[in-house]
Amino acid sequence: MNYNIHDILFWGLSAMAVGCALGVILSRNPVNSVMFLILTFFAISGHYLLMNAQFLAVVNIIVYAGAIMVLFLFVIMMMNLNADVEPQKGQLVQLAGVISGGVLFLVILAAIKSASPIDVDKSASQIGLIDNLGKVLFTKFVLPFEISSVLFLSAMIGAIVIGKKEDTHVINK
Amino acid sequence: MMFSGILVNNKKSIGAIAVLLFTILLGVNIWDMCAAPANAPQLFLSETCPLLRIDPYSLWFNTLMTGCSLLYLLLMNKEIQKVGAHVAEYFGLIFFIMCGLYILSTYNNLLMLFIGIEILSIPQYILAGSDKRNLKSSEAALKYFLMGSFSTGILLMGIALLYGGSGMATGHGSFYIMDYVSILHTDALNPVALAGILFIMIALGFKVSAAPMHMWTPDVYDGAPTPFTAIMATVVKAAAFFAFLRLFQVAFNSLSAHWTLVLAVITAATLLVGNVTAVFQQSVKRMLAYSSIAQAGFMLFAVLAVNSTAWQGIIIYAVAYSVATIGLFSVLVKLKDYTYDGFNGLAKTNPLLAFTATIFLFSLAGIPLTGGFMAKYYVLLAVVQQGQLMWLVIFALLMAAISVYYYFRVIIAMYFKPGNAELISPVTDTDKFLLIVTCIIVLLIGIVPQLFLTVFKV
Repeated sequence: MNYNIHDILFWGLSAMAVGCALGVILSRNPVNSVMFLILTFFAISGHYLLMNAQFLAVVNIIVYAGAIMVLFLFVIMMMNLNADVEPQKGQLVQLAGVISGGVLFLVILAAIKSASPIDVDKSASQIGLIDNLGKVLFTKFVLPFEISSVLFLSAMIGAIVIGKKEDTHVINK
Repeated sequence: MMFSGILVNNKKSIGAIAVLLFTILLGVNIWDMCAAPANAPQLFLSETCPLLRIDPYSLWFNTLMTGCSLLYLLLMNKEIQKVGAHVAEYFGLIFFIMCGLYILSTYNNLLMLFIGIEILSIPQYILAGSDKRNLKSSEAALKYFLMGSFSTGILLMGIALLYGGSGMATGHGSFYIMDYVSILHTDALNPVALAGILFIMIALGFKVSAAPMHMWTPDVYDGAPTPFTAIMATVVKAAAFFAFLRLFQVAFNSLSAHWTLVLAVITAATLLVGNVTAVFQQSVKRMLAYSSIAQAGFMLFAVLAVNSTAWQGIIIYAVAYSVATIGLFSVLVKLKDYTYDGFNGLAKTNPLLAFTATIFLFSLAGIPLTGGFMAKYYVLLAVVQQGQLMWLVIFALLMAAISVYYYFRVIIAMYFKPGNAELISPVTDTDKFLLIVTCIIVLLIGIVPQLFLTVFKV
């Protein structure tokens, strides 16, 4: 077996991604969870780089690791969740969760086990470069691109509707 | 074609403009349908990849759903304006929902399916929480948002798996649902794609509130302001079903042996949970939420049956169910008390309201001569034609019998219980006229359903 640098990086990043993802759900402290999540995003960005998709890697870091995770941290700090206040679930719920999660795991495992690997030209792919991305986005996929503006517009209107001050009188039925 | 009108709208403020625009939208739809030549016109396509594919079914579905929404707006106009301060936004969001509906009825690519579902859902999250003074409304919005985002994640996972699965067969993946017909139609089993189909089934099942994924429905429908519950439970659900049917009929048809049983179990569970739980409800609004789960079970029959009757079934069902439910909700918003007792003696204080409500309830229960009967007939016929799953059909008939019980409780309360049902808003002449029109539509579907299916004879 001969490993080249590409494979070593791939396995290293994969181990990092999986390990950090486990850290996200296993750590009791929410702040630690968020930190692990950031690390996971970095590992995934590394994968994008390996596939020669620089633009995707950078966007992933800026948007997810940068903006969204900082928001996460702010929310956690504002709500003062850093103490271990997670409510404990009942035994039955835990059991049900384990069973359904295990079944799901089995389905995916079975699917992946029988999957046949296909040869993808790893490093030479030009598809993730910003040049190609822009071309595809504005020709082949221009319709979804434009329509997602409707989506964002509705989300913005929603933010305004929800955020605006209305009437502080609360009816609690 | 229809999208431009939607973007401009939300600046205008009054409901009248919304109604006007909806009428225009309906007009455009009908014009489009008449102008459409026999071979479906294709919009927004570069040569190789039509992202939307418009066929007679989807055009007809669009037209009918626009009609339903127009009816909804006319009936609910005043109520929507009462919900809160941001009236223009509410109407704007309803237009966004329509935009999502149009995409869902014409999509030809999983990317468009995803965007359509999101455009359909996000306005709903907001509408559910629009009554900010009511804690239940906020709870509904938050619950719906969290659960909805989760199901979106599952949908994306399914799409990704399907992409990978299709890539395994041909060397490069595809998002086009037409491609799956040829890719999946091989003897070799493609487990990755199957897992993807399972994920997509779960996510879409969430959107239509099928049984194991139905938990959000009662709380959200109950908590959301009643006028918005009416559109969430009807037009939106119909759109999600149309998307469901389109995907599973067009793309996964050849694999039906693999997913039929799973979907059949989901259908049975949906019918059981919806109907049996509805029996125990005290609030009519909550009962309607469970009944909408039960009705979803019937609509799933159309997805189960892989034939052309299923298309007719889903369209008839969507219209019959939407019109009757919208009508019933518009009666409901007039009442002060949403429990069964609130309906006591309505027949004496307001006979017209009680009578129209009775017709709508008959239709939902599936009594002959109303739309609901024909709708149930068509979807069940589609499955019977398929020849399998007779146990499910018998089970459904049994469940329909149970549903009669809780629908009739309302009728009994209105006609035979003494009481004095209080209204919060007066019933004007326009309301009366509209309710009668709605009733006539329900009866028309029941007596001459062909009227609503003529388009397929072309």
